[in-house]
Amino acid sequence: MVATFIKRRSRELAVAGTITLFLLPLLGISGKTYITLTIAGLAMGMLLFLVASGVSIIFGLMDVLNFAHGALFAWGAYVGFTVFNIMMKWVVAESVFKNLVVFVFAIFVAMIAVAILGIVLERIIVRRVYGNHLFQILITFGATIVLVELIKVFWGPNDEVMTVPFSFRGNWDVLDVIIDRYRVICITMGFALYAVIQLILKKTKLGIIVRAGVENREMIQAMGHNIFMLFTGVFAVGAGLAALGGLAMSVFSLQVYPDMGSTYLLFAFIVVIIGGLGSVTGSLVGAIIVGLSYNYVAYLVPWAAAGANVMIMIIILLVRPAGLFPAGE
Amino acid sequence: MKVESVHTYIGQHHILQGISFEAVADAVTVLIGRNGAGKSTTIKTVMGLLTATDGRIIYRGQEIQRKKPYEIARMGIGFVPEDMGIFSGLTVEENMKVAMLVEDKTTHERLERTLHMFSALRKFWKSKAGNLSGGQKQMLAIARAIVNDTSLLLIDEPSKGLAPIIVESLLEAINQIKERSVVILVEQNFFMASAVGDNFYILDDGLVVQSGVMEELIHDAELKSRFLGISKTSNSR
Amino acid sequence: MAELTAVQLFHQEEKRRRFRRGGFFIRLGVLCILLLVPFVLPSYKTVDLAVKIMIFATLVASFDIMLGYTGILSFGHGMFFGIGAYCVVFLISKYGAPTYLNLMLGMATAAAVAAGVAILVSFLSLRVKTIFFAMVTLAIAELAIILATKLSVFTGGEDGISLAMPGIFSFAYSAGKFLGVEITGKIITYYLILLSCLGMFMMMLRFTNSPLGRVLQAIRDNEQRAEALGFKTFVFQGISITFGCVMAAISGGFYAMWVGYVNPESCLGVFAIMLAVLLMCIIGGMGTLYGGIVGAAFYLITETFLPDLQHLAKDLFPSAVFLHNVMERWYLFLGVLFILVIIFFPKGVIGSVQDYTARRKAARSS
Repeated sequence: MVATFIKRRSRELAVAGTITLFLLPLLGISGKTYITLTIAGLAMGMLLFLVASGVSIIFGLMDVLNFAHGALFAWGAYVGFTVFNIMMKWVVAESVFKNLVVFVFAIFVAMIAVAILGIVLERIIVRRVYGNHLFQILITFGATIVLVELIKVFWGPNDEVMTVPFSFRGNWDVLDVIIDRYRVICITMGFALYAVIQLILKKTKLGIIVRAGVENREMIQAMGHNIFMLFTGVFAVGAGLAALGGLAMSVFSLQVYPDMGSTYLLFAFIVVIIGGLGSVTGSLVGAIIVGLSYNYVAYLVPWAAAGANVMIMIIILLVRPAGLFPAGE
Repeated sequence: MKVESVHTYIGQHHILQGISFEAVADAVTVLIGRNGAGKSTTIKTVMGLLTATDGRIIYRGQEIQRKKPYEIARMGIGFVPEDMGIFSGLTVEENMKVAMLVEDKTTHERLERTLHMFSALRKFWKSKAGNLSGGQKQMLAIARAIVNDTSLLLIDEPSKGLAPIIVESLLEAINQIKERSVVILVEQNFFMASAVGDNFYILDDGLVVQSGVMEELIHDAELKSRFLGISKTSNSR
Repeated sequence: MAELTAVQLFHQEEKRRRFRRGGFFIRLGVLCILLLVPFVLPSYKTVDLAVKIMIFATLVASFDIMLGYTGILSFGHGMFFGIGAYCVVFLISKYGAPTYLNLMLGMATAAAVAAGVAILVSFLSLRVKTIFFAMVTLAIAELAIILATKLSVFTGGEDGISLAMPGIFSFAYSAGKFLGVEITGKIITYYLILLSCLGMFMMMLRFTNSPLGRVLQAIRDNEQRAEALGFKTFVFQGISITFGCVMAAISGGFYAMWVGYVNPESCLGVFAIMLAVLLMCIIGGMGTLYGGIVGAAFYLITETFLPDLQHLAKDLFPSAVFLHNVMERWYLFLGVLFILVIIFFPKGVIGSVQDYTARRKAARSS
């Protein structure tokens, strides 16, 4: 009896459990630290959301697991890095306007460049392995190797410092709580992007077609829609999102390095497993969970931070393998 | 629509072993047969969802066996699959939107007429399609397939799992539709098939074994029992 | 005696002709080369290369049992290799003393721990589809590296632990000269590893050619059908994973013995070990244990002799900086090769050769 109750209400239980879990740290740390940590966690979550949402939708629509997403993430950061270097004067200028322009421009260039990279990747490599999960993993893994090595060829194998735009630095002091400026920017960007994606998915014809395609790929073709163009398009968008995530993350962590994709890819996978493949909302919720838990645990028990996330992933796999918000529910 | 000696494989299984049939306007052509005879496979091959390894499919003078499903759909061929293919997470309105390839006045007029025919859809316009009853889902599936300028409609086992009353209303709808488009219907249910069908083809083990006019088949108890499993003593029409 | 069935007759014929086929001689040849390396090419570089090829060939073969024969992709193989290495190190160096007994205990512990972890992992992750399994094993492997680095009290952290081998294996030992070469402990260790790897490889061959191995292949080809035939796929997959991981751990143990040093980066690292194993397996040939030998040889020989190639390039074209940049990134070529192999030769070197010979045989007999 208890078993069926758990199964039927598993989503509500998971949400309730998570909320309780996240309020627990309040017992051990001061309210102010809690707020700082929460904001850090939310910011990290948002960046993960950007990467994870791409993986989730690509898998939901195309049934393709894209292991190369991490490399696209890194490429986005590096392209942004180059734009910043070229326009460094505007990055360090003390004008909010100039900083914003440079930032937005860098995002724009990075997203387009990586989207093109994504299209090339999809056409040449991914297309050959539709339907075969094993080979998808292997081939996109190979693509990752090539892409990362290309980064090393073009930009060198060392870590590089990423300059934060002037007005993004520092923090605000709100009622004695230290709030990092850039983190708030990340959170806003994340939510804004989520809103835009949801808007496109729900209100535009293209969005409806994508959602239908996620549910039933065969039928959408039989209704006259060119699914291959759809695939390429979605892949490109996913790549662009990864690029945005990479750029934002590099400013967040003040550095770019060739392997930055792999660490975050892992987190992205954990997010997608927790949130459910094929669901944007799932990615958002999953990302927030991962981001928050990582930060709370990192503060309380530093060496267990990564482990905590893996634990959550394992629990979800055992209790509700489809994730919190699987597509089609 | 002419199908000539089509062979289709699913994996390693040679399902269609040389199917040939013809469908003409103003008549409902029914493909009947037992489970596993290859009826659904035939329809899917025509639609391009399965690839024919041999043979030709000719529609309006064009060979379409190598075309992709979306190209075939755009030629004016509508498809209602066995499992109805409803997008449960989308609303009825969104389902129809996905179906409409162009959104011009004529299509909207067709939409109006379709909703007139299936009034339940208008009632549930903004609800999620997954919440509809079986019969309503089938109506939605058919509505989606005819809202465009459909000249050929492929329907796969529409009466499956539906209550007899619902099946009656489906019959009415199909009778209305056949005035405007060629209809190829796949059915296992003989009652349904004989009620709307004009011409028939009996499929067995991937081949056409008999064909003719529906009127004759209704009275041919021998054929019915051999290929359709209908007992000779039953008086099912 | 009852008449033999057609299948049994076929097998008997196969066995009789086994020692006359070309493949057998090639294998014998490779074995001879490995036996003679310390005497014919006694430089440290080549001996080291030969040992690494043997160890990695065994490791890749154990990975192939999971991937090629059972159809399971696990990113955790590097972790098991590292577990083996660390177990041996713990017993010989950190928590024990360099004795023969401890050496064997170390190996036994490595096998036991690997088996335990493998069973745990399979229990947790086999209930999900291929993709999830890959992701989960990746996550667990990364976690293992982080743990190994952070729990430095036990594991020596990033600095790692070094070890010394016992008795006649110790690198200082010398047994005098033989055929003009000094028989050091290192050489003796070489032959120990050679014999052990040979043994492990033959065990794996036996495993895959047994009825058990055939069931695994059936599961790889069509899991549902295997299930329908009555085989509890879950149990078989678990057995395959456990066997593969135990073999991996033992290879790891030998690696530690040879190199004399372990640390998270070089032994557990996804990038150090797992990536290499994957590349070697695919290029050499999935589903053919011998692919491991080819893949390992190719990868390691290229890696060892690449600096020489780079010097050559530098001498020939001193000002082509871009060329040098690209040459430095030999992984780039490996990655491209990897992709090309997957697209055009999914069966790898050995697989394609097997296909070719099979086709020729069929053509000849028809």
